[in-house]
Amino acid sequence: MTFDINQLAFYYPMLVLGAAGFLILALGIFRLKSRIYSTVAMGAFVVSFLLILMEWYGILPFSVSAGTQFNGFGFYFALLFLVSSGFITYPALRNIAARSEIFYALLLFVTTGMLVAAFSYNLITLFIAFEAVSIGTYIIAGFHKTKKTLESAIKYFFTGTVATAFIIFGLSYFYLSTGTFSLTGALKISSTPDMLIALAFLVIGFGFKLAIFPMHQWAIDTYDGTENSVSSFLSTGSKLVAFMIMLKVFVVGFSGLDSYVYVFFAIIAVATMTYANVAALSQNNLKKLLAYSSVAQAGYLILVFAVTGYAPGTTAAEYAIAAGMLYSLVYIFMKGGAFLTMNIFKSDRISVDDISGLAKRSPGVALSFSIILLSLAGIPLTGGFLAKFFLFLSLVQGGLWWLAVVAILNSAISVFYYFRVMMFMYWRQGTGEDKFDLSIQNRLPVYFSAIVVVVLFFIFGLFFSILPLVGGV
Amino acid sequence: MIILGIFIWVLISAFIAFLAKNRSSAFSRISTLITLAAILIYSVLRFSSGYTGGFLSQSNIALSPSLGIYFSIGVSGFADSLLILTGIIFAAAVFVTDKKQYPPSMFLLILLTEAGMLGLLISRNFLFFYVFWELVLIPVYFILGKFGGPRKDRVSLKFFVYTHIASIFMLLSIFALYSYYDLQYGVLTFQMDLLLSAMQNPAFTATLPLIAKDFILFGFVFSFLVKLPSFPVHAWLADSYEQAPYPGTIILAGALSAMGGYGLFGILFPFGGLIGTAGLDILVVLGLISVSYFALTAMFQQSLKRMMAYASAASMGFVTLAFASAFLDPVKSENALIAASGGMFQVATHGIIMLLVFASIYYILVKTGSDRIPSLGGIYRDAPFLSTILLGGLLASLGLPGLAGFIGEFSIIVGSYQVIGYWIFLLIFGMLITASYHIWAAQKALYGPYNEKLGKISDITGAPLAMLIIVFTVILVLGIFPVLFFGPIQAYAHGILFGGII
Repeated sequence: MTFDINQLAFYYPMLVLGAAGFLILALGIFRLKSRIYSTVAMGAFVVSFLLILMEWYGILPFSVSAGTQFNGFGFYFALLFLVSSGFITYPALRNIAARSEIFYALLLFVTTGMLVAAFSYNLITLFIAFEAVSIGTYIIAGFHKTKKTLESAIKYFFTGTVATAFIIFGLSYFYLSTGTFSLTGALKISSTPDMLIALAFLVIGFGFKLAIFPMHQWAIDTYDGTENSVSSFLSTGSKLVAFMIMLKVFVVGFSGLDSYVYVFFAIIAVATMTYANVAALSQNNLKKLLAYSSVAQAGYLILVFAVTGYAPGTTAAEYAIAAGMLYSLVYIFMKGGAFLTMNIFKSDRISVDDISGLAKRSPGVALSFSIILLSLAGIPLTGGFLAKFFLFLSLVQGGLWWLAVVAILNSAISVFYYFRVMMFMYWRQGTGEDKFDLSIQNRLPVYFSAIVVVVLFFIFGLFFSILPLVGGV
Repeated sequence: MIILGIFIWVLISAFIAFLAKNRSSAFSRISTLITLAAILIYSVLRFSSGYTGGFLSQSNIALSPSLGIYFSIGVSGFADSLLILTGIIFAAAVFVTDKKQYPPSMFLLILLTEAGMLGLLISRNFLFFYVFWELVLIPVYFILGKFGGPRKDRVSLKFFVYTHIASIFMLLSIFALYSYYDLQYGVLTFQMDLLLSAMQNPAFTATLPLIAKDFILFGFVFSFLVKLPSFPVHAWLADSYEQAPYPGTIILAGALSAMGGYGLFGILFPFGGLIGTAGLDILVVLGLISVSYFALTAMFQQSLKRMMAYASAASMGFVTLAFASAFLDPVKSENALIAASGGMFQVATHGIIMLLVFASIYYILVKTGSDRIPSLGGIYRDAPFLSTILLGGLLASLGLPGLAGFIGEFSIIVGSYQVIGYWIFLLIFGMLITASYHIWAAQKALYGPYNEKLGKISDITGAPLAMLIIVFTVILVLGIFPVLFFGPIQAYAHGILFGGII
């Protein structure tokens, strides 16, 4: 990646975010209200979002030459990351009271890192961006200092550091056998065994962040322990960064070893989906249930690599990547929305039982949460169905019948625990004491995600508009 | 476009019914009657003369042409008979829903189910077919889980997961069709007429690998057999029928089992060349087992509702048998035509018969407080009209000549004799048992000495009586003039078997 002064305009979105981060830190001296920090952060996200849109459609007021790395694929994911950060900006106000300027500044820095990752095709830059995201999220996870949050942040931190070590080790072997860190040109692999070591270590390293089996255990505790909006961010934004980097690394970087990539990811995907769905069945803690479901969803996401490995270069592979991209978009709203729904509870420890009687108390929230759960289960009329639909379509197109059957059986198992939550919501009487805090700022994100999830179903053409972007991987 | 209008009308009226609060019940009754009337008018306009198979009222609304996604509709002779059935079933289901007992949301759910059923029957695009196929499940799941009996939690979940697994296998089959069509012709499409005409084209089916053929057929057949239900995928049946509230049972037995039948004859039947004959013996065996096994099981049930649930499954065994024998017939003669038409006729009339039976059992429950055979007895003394109508329903269900149930079973037996040969004794055995437990149940529950523990009961009068008599009249008319349904159905089957019309 060479720096071209004509491309400076493409760095504006990141500069805006970074500058806003420092601005918020500076404003912190005046001890302003949290609402002001959050508004500044939101403003930065919106400006950055608009700038990226303008770049994407080439309607900047000055002429720039787009380099190869600033392509539709990067723009698409950059927008997704901005959405996932912006999504939690206001809901986070609920619990982040003390020193909130640090929280928002960090959120902005993390998002900057994400954007860098979106536009980078060099393993070193990707790694640095990935670390920027990780380190920022370690601190974010520890906010709202209760014993439980600290414990989960520590767990996240330690496993995250181990993952970093794995990634560095894998990268060094990658360099050994290819002689380059760049993912743009065709790679010459000089030593297959070295490359296999790199593959294994990189899968494990990035797999930690994506929380796939058997590197998922931290995620269960961390998602459960952290503040709801942080769990929402960890399970959407930070996961999708890992997914996007993996798309770049495993589809392009390992294009010579496709059959190995297929075997690796087919096994991990089956294990992840099956383990997480079965474990979620017996889960009574609602946040842990959502955490397991988040692990299971990661299992569906990495099916993409199984297809690209099994049938590289075919339409099926393109379909799989596009389906993964569509899935990422829907995923922000269904998973993020599900975690943000937890804000309606007064207590931090939420069991499935606690949701009883929600339908009586607030039919709107109950309906919206049901829509989100239906979307996670992949039932029609929700965006989740459409995303799964195209993903499974790509599996069948690529000829991976057995994997499609396994995935579908898994999505049937998942129906059990999603519907169990709905059952409690609608058909069980509450205990009488009011466990819900149904203020408007807690309800709005739930309504919003439910509406988006339904709207996404009706945009059938969206998949087809994503398809040409796949070339940018 | 009339039919699209009817579909949209049902969809809108579902929400109006919900918002109407105190008038939900009245509005839903009027709305479903209007729907039924509209369907009848539509059927008379389109199918009363000159119908020679294929699909009428076709229209496409492009949603994503590059992916082959259209909102595409069309109605065949078979689908039309099921449209009429749907209209009748839901009008009756709304009618027996007591407004004092159920909140407006019940009417919303019932009407949404009706919208899903109509959408399913008119869809000519596989994506929307699947979407409606799944959408029917959700309101039914809520009807079962919210208003069901004491074991509703487990049973509703079992129902949903069972049928959901079945449907997603069908989804995979649809994907397979889609991909292979793309491979062969380079066109992405979910349109049924394109995909189904490719299925009839030997040049296309020859390109499919064997595993793909098996996979496609398995997905569809599995999904439809679960809905029917057939042995051995019937585990959800009895519990769901029993635990559902009566409107729910009527919908399950009347409409949802017709979905399975529609799947077999509306979707799978035109597959023609792909199906061949290999493996169809299994379906024959499953059909035969269904008829006799469910009859035996029904015989030992104490609850009228559970007994009739198995009876319903037993009569759907005939449908599986009819489907398989239509393909196994070596010379594709009139026999295949008769078996297929009989199967479709059975699907349509079975729903109406089950409606009559379950509605009268519901009124028995209302009047006596029980629907278990041992706690009834001799209610003819105090409720002669109710007893007679239930007897009529039972006789129709066991296939008494002159009533609608006979026509379907008779045609299937005639049509499939060439295929199953002497194994027909299993069928006769099943029918014998069916007849015996139907009569036995009538004898115990309706006639004989009066069970004094019931106290004084009253007969039905007024609107419920009129409703039951109308439904019985429909069964009687269809038994005497079966051509009302049989005509369009036979034209449809003829078109596919001999004309290659899809």
